[in-house]
Amino acid sequence: MTEPQSIDAIRDQVFAIIAKQAKIDVATIRNESTLKDLGVASLDAIEVIFDIEEHFDIHFPDQGTNFDTDTVQHLIDAVVAAQAAGKEGGTQ
Amino acid sequence: MTDADSRAIAITGMGAISAFGEGAQALWAGLREGRSGIRPLRHERAAELRVRIAAQVPESFDPSAHFAERTLPMLDRASQFALFAANEAVAQSGLDFAAGNLGTRTGVVVGTGVGGETTQDEQSRRLYAENATRLHPLTIVRLMTNAPASQISMAHGLRGPSFAVASACASTNHAIAQAALMIRAGLIDVAVAGGTEACLTYGALRAWEAMRVLADDTCRPFSANRRGLVLGEGAGVFVLESMAHARARGATILGVLAGVGMSADAGDIVAPDPAGSGSAMAQALADAGLAPGDIDYINAHGTGTPANDPTETRAIHAVFGAHAPKLAVSSTKSMHGHALGASGALELVAVLGALRDGVVPPTANLDVADPACDLDYVPNVPREMTVRAALSNSFAFGGLNAVLAVRAA
Repeated sequence: MTEPQSIDAIRDQVFAIIAKQAKIDVATIRNESTLKDLGVASLDAIEVIFDIEEHFDIHFPDQGTNFDTDTVQHLIDAVVAAQAAGKEGGTQ
Repeated sequence: MTDADSRAIAITGMGAISAFGEGAQALWAGLREGRSGIRPLRHERAAELRVRIAAQVPESFDPSAHFAERTLPMLDRASQFALFAANEAVAQSGLDFAAGNLGTRTGVVVGTGVGGETTQDEQSRRLYAENATRLHPLTIVRLMTNAPASQISMAHGLRGPSFAVASACASTNHAIAQAALMIRAGLIDVAVAGGTEACLTYGALRAWEAMRVLADDTCRPFSANRRGLVLGEGAGVFVLESMAHARARGATILGVLAGVGMSADAGDIVAPDPAGSGSAMAQALADAGLAPGDIDYINAHGTGTPANDPTETRAIHAVFGAHAPKLAVSSTKSMHGHALGASGALELVAVLGALRDGVVPPTANLDVADPACDLDYVPNVPREMTVRAALSNSFAFGGLNAVLAVRAA
């Protein structure tokens, strides 16, 4: 298990993944942006989630999150939460 | 005979296998009572999977009880389901395909989303997990998408145009439309048509998990607390005849396939477009010579996903206008699950039951009203009402829509 990373490091990596998938300049992404704002909709949003899960080796919950309308900050929070859960030996 | 009459197709046999077990009657009995066939997932790797529930054909289904020892090795689970349903439908129709060379005037069209997925999965495991270099010699003939249609053709001596149709979750309705259009065109007098699906393999379940569209509790179409779709499996097969052929032999007509409508969204690969689904509904009505006010019931696509339910509702409003609030609209996927390529077939059993018995099956698990879904979805309780005519909607991933218009015999 890798050590949990700093919030800043996680944010930079999440931004990079979104920028790559959305084919946009990373500088245009804000914490409060939604994927929809950034032009990432439908299957593209699911691909972003998949890329983040693969990158951090985590699993986001299947329910209770709307990745189209939630903000980038929410994704960062979800990575932090998933890493913390992983460290405690949780499976989710 | 009016033009609409000459275009009408008689449905003279039906068969099915589903989460409710063997037979169209078992399926209809469950649906008309509002019972659910959704259960905890039965799978050897269920403990590892995030998929928790499914609407599976019960374990009591024993293929060796239904198929000859020589035939069985050729049959993927999808073909087993299709052949079981076809045998039931043919028996009910009372047709003898050997008599008067009727077999040469009969076609077979079977829809399936993915075909022989169980065979594909088993043989892939041999190859990649067990490092086997030799696969089962019947792998190809089991997994090919046309296998269900071919097996039905072989079992009953049906020598007319026969093939598979694939349009994901609209496969059955596209298949039945193809069969009906061939009868109308005079190519054949009779068709054995429907759909089958059996794809609840480890690989396919993992792929569905990745799409994040599966519910973890149950299927709640049109309900604000919906959590996604629930996968199912099964088959439904029907005997279709030209009206003249059915009348000439005094056949019992279960219902009349009055019209079909097909369209493509030509937009997003998964996000539905109400213009596309609406166009298919409008075409089915026009083809059937029915006005919106003639329709009493719509068996909705109704998957229970946030993408489908409000979109389908908008499409129904657009097509039916002032009549929309008077329609009974229900999603029987809430009970038989989403059987993908076979779903239109299970739903046609529901439509024929509603026409015949005057009972509309409910939308189960609809307990929180959704402002974006404001039609009469027959929540939770079956409704006794006369159904003169009905639509059955199927809208597929890939933006492919197919709608059947069916009226009472």
